Amino acid sequence: MKRRLFLATAASALAGCGPVSSALNQNETLKRILAAAEPLNHRLIGTRGLAREYRDADVDRHFRVNGFATPSDQHYMDLAADNYAGYRLVVDGAVERRRAFSLPELQAMRQQVQITRHDCVEGWSAIGKWSGVSLAAVLDAVEPRADARYVVFRCMDDDGTGNLYYESLDMHQARHPQALLALSLNDAPLDPDHGAPLRLRVPTQLGYKSAKWIARIEVVGTLATIYAGGGGYWEDRGYEWYAGI
Amino acid sequence: MGSETPRQVYRYALLTRVSHWLWVLAFVVLVGSGLQIFNASPNLDASDKSDPARRVLAITAPAQGVGTTTLFGHTFVTTGWLGWTGDGLGSRGAHAFGAWLTIPGYQDLAGGRRWHFFFAWIAAICWLAWLISTAVKGNLKEMILRPGDLPKLWPMQAYYLKLRKEPPPHGIYNPLQKAAYTAVGFVIAPLVVLTGLALSPGIDSIAKPLTIAFGGRQFARLWHFAGMILLLGFFAIHTFQVATQGVVNQMRSMITGWYRVQ
Repeated sequence: MKRRLFLATAASALAGCGPVSSALNQNETLKRILAAAEPLNHRLIGTRGLAREYRDADVDRHFRVNGFATPSDQHYMDLAADNYAGYRLVVDGAVERRRAFSLPELQAMRQQVQITRHDCVEGWSAIGKWSGVSLAAVLDAVEPRADARYVVFRCMDDDGTGNLYYESLDMHQARHPQALLALSLNDAPLDPDHGAPLRLRVPTQLGYKSAKWIARIEVVGTLATIYAGGGGYWEDRGYEWYAGI
Repeated sequence: MGSETPRQVYRYALLTRVSHWLWVLAFVVLVGSGLQIFNASPNLDASDKSDPARRVLAITAPAQGVGTTTLFGHTFVTTGWLGWTGDGLGSRGAHAFGAWLTIPGYQDLAGGRRWHFFFAWIAAICWLAWLISTAVKGNLKEMILRPGDLPKLWPMQAYYLKLRKEPPPHGIYNPLQKAAYTAVGFVIAPLVVLTGLALSPGIDSIAKPLTIAFGGRQFARLWHFAGMILLLGFFAIHTFQVATQGVVNQMRSMITGWYRVQ
């Protein structure tokens, strides 16, 4: 009858969602239309807010590893075997004074501590106590030029196809008071799984922004010329560059 | 003569009709893409950070070919339905919700997020536009449940259950409809929006009391999911009622605006 027909139609319309949306999901034009929400979210939320800071008692002692585990390429394993003695954080690009920081040099700078929550894009979260050097302090040391617009973090982990992980922030986000180049987690030097010897922490955005195993910070005028131009490894694979939501 | 031709009344304004159907579309997409997003971490914890000790719901595949659902500590085998389901590519795998329910069908968190955030804006803009226009026209008071409606709720239910011959006197909407529309439009839907916002780290950083009010990020995720279940419940009852109370007339009135009265 009518009722049964109606319910059957409704049920099959719902069940058809998966296959139909799978087909639509590949359409580049539709992708761009749907992605229009990202600048709206960015504008709505902005980057001025401060992430909540927690107490020592809130810390997860076994902090879940986000993203990839320890890089397995020889260069990284040699560095780790030597306790990162040969490590240098290169900061260059659109700057007045290119610098290369050794670990002792970074450790000698003023250390900033934050107990913040890491929100993974997958939906889980964990709280860690991070300490290290403020990203703003490192940028001050190299004096970005007037044409500097983005700060790109180039990492040491290869995804197996020759693509290195990378991430980026605009100058405003990079100078956020909680943007931290972390050297330690929960009062111990970072271990390889958590990004040793140096990782980023951006607690106001999702975890994929907080790049691990950073080898080089490059200040640039545009992101368009780096890999696919999305401004990050996951951004080049469809995720939002603005990761506040 | 007049009694032979049915009288038609113009029941729904254009804006109401357009926003109604956009909501239907947005709701379907938001549920499907929300389940896609849920699949990336198929647990719900009653806490700020993830905490297995405070896990309310877990939909997992503890072994190859086995799906389980654990709710408040009670585990059910749900192979084929939840936990171990079709992947949309011709085989089964460890996916909490199956490909036939998620948007997109196959596993794609980035894609699910794109659909979700776009249609969240559509739903919110529609709701605001409808709210403002309805309020300006003065029709809002017809929909909102008032204290005076409370004593009429049971008599109306009794009428539906055929325990009473006549419905209690009411305006355009009966007291049960008013209760449903008020709960959905002004309590549950706004809460679903707020809990969704509360689980974003950016929103947490500019509106900490919001995330704290819901018990933290993971708790907000739990409320967001629970809100979806309630909205699905409304959707089911609403669809059933439309289907059983003159489906053609009801559908016509929500498409053309005109409702036929005997």
